[in-house]
Amino acid sequence: MRKSLMRVFSLGLMASMSTALLPVLTFAGTYNLTVDKVLIDTGDFTKEGIGYNGKSPGPILRFNEGEEVTINVTNNLEETTSIHWHGLILPYQMDGVPKISYPGIEPGETFTYKFPIVQTGTYWFHSHSGFQEPDGAYGSIVIDPKKRKPFRFDRDYVVQFTDKHPHSGKRIMRNLKMASDYYNRQQQTLGDFLSDVNKNGFEATVSDRLDWGSMRMMATDVEDVQGFTPLINGKGPEQNWTGIFNPKERVLLRLINSSAMTYFDVRIPGLKMTVVASDGNYVQPVTVDELRIGVAETYDVLVRPKDDKAYTIFGASMGQTAYARGTLAPRDGMSADIPEMSIRPLLTMADMGMDHGTMEGMDHSSMRGMGSKEDKFYAKGSGIAPTAANGGKFLSYVDLKAQKPLYKEREATREIELRLTGNMERYIWSINGVKYEDADPIKLQYGERVRFKFVNETMMTHPMHLHGMWSILDVGAGKWNPAKHTISVAPGTTVYSETEVDATGQWAFHCHLSYHADAGMFRKVVVEGGPKTASLTTTGKGVPQ
Amino acid sequence: MRKIIKHFPSILFSLALLTPFTSHAEEPANIFYGFQMEEFEYRYGESGEELFAFDGDAFIGSDELKLRWEGDGEFDLNIEKFETLSNQLSLQTPVSDFWDIKGGVRYTSPQGPDRWYVAVGLSGLAPQWFEIDTQLYLSEKGKLSADLDVEYSVLLTNYLTLTPSATVDVAFSSDREIGVGSGVNSVEAGLRLSYDVWDRIFSPYVGVVYERKFGQTANFVEAEGESADIWYAVIGAKLMF
Amino acid sequence: MKIKRSFLSGVAGVTLTATLAVSTAIAFAAGNQDGHHGDKAATGEPGKASEVSRTIEIKMFDAYYEPEDISVKKGETIRFKVVNAGELVHEFNIGTAATHSAHQEEMMLMVEHGVLEADKVNRNMMKMGMGNGMTMDHSDPNSALLAPNETAEIIWKFADGEELEFACNVPGHYDAGMMGEFSIE
Repeated sequence: MRKSLMRVFSLGLMASMSTALLPVLTFAGTYNLTVDKVLIDTGDFTKEGIGYNGKSPGPILRFNEGEEVTINVTNNLEETTSIHWHGLILPYQMDGVPKISYPGIEPGETFTYKFPIVQTGTYWFHSHSGFQEPDGAYGSIVIDPKKRKPFRFDRDYVVQFTDKHPHSGKRIMRNLKMASDYYNRQQQTLGDFLSDVNKNGFEATVSDRLDWGSMRMMATDVEDVQGFTPLINGKGPEQNWTGIFNPKERVLLRLINSSAMTYFDVRIPGLKMTVVASDGNYVQPVTVDELRIGVAETYDVLVRPKDDKAYTIFGASMGQTAYARGTLAPRDGMSADIPEMSIRPLLTMADMGMDHGTMEGMDHSSMRGMGSKEDKFYAKGSGIAPTAANGGKFLSYVDLKAQKPLYKEREATREIELRLTGNMERYIWSINGVKYEDADPIKLQYGERVRFKFVNETMMTHPMHLHGMWSILDVGAGKWNPAKHTISVAPGTTVYSETEVDATGQWAFHCHLSYHADAGMFRKVVVEGGPKTASLTTTGKGVPQ
Repeated sequence: MRKIIKHFPSILFSLALLTPFTSHAEEPANIFYGFQMEEFEYRYGESGEELFAFDGDAFIGSDELKLRWEGDGEFDLNIEKFETLSNQLSLQTPVSDFWDIKGGVRYTSPQGPDRWYVAVGLSGLAPQWFEIDTQLYLSEKGKLSADLDVEYSVLLTNYLTLTPSATVDVAFSSDREIGVGSGVNSVEAGLRLSYDVWDRIFSPYVGVVYERKFGQTANFVEAEGESADIWYAVIGAKLMF
Repeated sequence: MKIKRSFLSGVAGVTLTATLAVSTAIAFAAGNQDGHHGDKAATGEPGKASEVSRTIEIKMFDAYYEPEDISVKKGETIRFKVVNAGELVHEFNIGTAATHSAHQEEMMLMVEHGVLEADKVNRNMMKMGMGNGMTMDHSDPNSALLAPNETAEIIWKFADGEELEFACNVPGHYDAGMMGEFSIE
């Protein structure tokens, strides 16, 4: 007992030395969190929001594999709150979703979470009540493994992205309901019409506008919400979060996208990134120049800055309307050039799920999606398929292959189709045309292997997140398909993932875009059968078969 | 008849309040609300007419059922009386992806006699982004009338918008008391250039409005010494919060 | 007579051992296509079994080596017993950072052509031509490409080293840290 405590303490000491600037809780076993009103300063504006232990983002919780954690959460707000541990496998009563796992945590109440840690890697936690998460209630989790890690690094940093907006989450939702294009300031104007006429000719341009007009949809509808300031570890681009390194060191960056609505295209000019983990699970290492991190996803990447100079960590929003910026430098106070954002992408008819022959003659000035290697996780001819700004390699889901598959490969026992649907004009989002409040729960049987078929009938990209169980994404690699907790489904595409149903209870399953989830793109999953004991032991997940 | 019409608003309101509790699962429906003024302006006519005009609405409700107030009016600044004033309370529900129907009660109270009406309408977004709103009215006097409103937004920039609009009022039988003749009563066309100064909360605009009365309605108006067609210059602000 | 026979049997014995050694070494090295391995002189050269001063066991895991640093003397001949104790294909390759970088590109080609899978090496495909007069034959004496559980032996004589590394050039592994340094005295 003492030995493990010592080990934990020394690990904790090393952990706190290697992770600068962010508060870290390292005591074994018991952790205390308070949920507070905090003031958030983005560099562009300050706003009252919600944080943990007096700050937003909240602390980095550092756990050890095999540890039995006790987390006391005290609610200092005037409204109910909750904390969901995103990506963690645990008993459903500890999952933190009000009305599904528990009633929530009342103002003034302290709720004690208690569960064993059965996995390793980078995860995060956030409120699952109202719009508290967009208002600032999020933090990170790093779980150190018992065995040696399959890669080497000299130091690690949590690099957590968010999209902080000057409006509160409640206000944003209300505005979107009044006018779904409330926050879109990238709409096509008369000026765009004239320049398109210049480039493509009058007929082609009018035809294009008529096509979109007949559907009453906008090609510029890439980001529902604009006007935010992207933050890295709570710091805006001007405030410049900085991670220190010694040249030639291997640095592990734990990229976490904790934003409400924004995907980030992340690159570090001058450095390649080697992806070694995705959503907490090890993947066969793949080196890329740029990657797109979807809302709620995590990627662990290794970089090896060789020179004694600063490097910019650059995260452009998917719609190229704003960027997050941090720095890796050998000393404080250094900074490198900030790259330019790329031209704003436009959706195409392919993203609408249509195969239009009228693509010829269209202006492909953005040239996105028309690169040499088309990513099969985007519609063929998509306007938002990403390409690396430096012409190099852009990570695709196809590149993600499990290093150590969590489950043995076997045939799925049944398939469930989930059409991702919505009405942008009314800002209603749903699954199979039905909003959460009008839907029956999805019933699964313990022990089955369900194949989920996501058919995206909308023109937005949805990061679908199933709580409590792994989603094995079908990238066409058979037994090497990676296990993830959040799966991004691009417009006009169909994506498959399989889940070994091995966690009893009830679980949330929803699009992780905050305002979509609230609008109805949400389901309750009920797992019937399985061991009766609502014990704190889970059944062998994470253990290779 | 009058009594039912008078109590209609409260009946509708109570029905609206019930919606959250009539939905299917344990989750109550989300309630939203909003207020806007599409027109809120000072009008200066070619012959020195001065009016204050407004046209706005507010709603509260869920995706499935909303309670909506619509109001519009023209206040003559010279004689300090409302030339037109209408307030309407309806229940609104979607019938398709882009169209809603509404039904309610309308009360007009300009200078002169007031009128109560039962109103049914259709509003929504037509292909190519035309905003349409059309209603049918049955007054307490048994007179049937209708109006159609069309609006289109041209984005000159993402903050500067040119909005052409047109409203047609039609009456199927005349109501002399309130100066309405049968047939097309009037057409109001407007062109407003607005700039979003503060989000979409406050967007001041300048523009022109052309109002023209026809047929019998024109006669009524001319009989009172006023012009049947007037150009106005307008200045005002759009509001939304 | 006796001496001759024993001498012959001795020769036979050595040849036999050599052949056996070669056949049990189910390892092949990268294609000898062009001058990639031009700086052989600095890297060293294949050693003679008779000159081996010591044997070092190299264990390959996912994705790292044990040990991670090796000290050698200039001119020393070392026998490396390499075993793949991981679940993925790995390589043990002696070279400089530059040769490793070039080799990584070759290995990438092997992956793209299906010769190299995550946990399998399709050696039968290696002799196939790539249409430009080159094959993906992986048979260099300074490297061993092994599937899980395979073993191989490399006997190497170290010359005056520049910065010499041993590395796995399976795409991504080098960047994840699967490399080690030789300190040459």
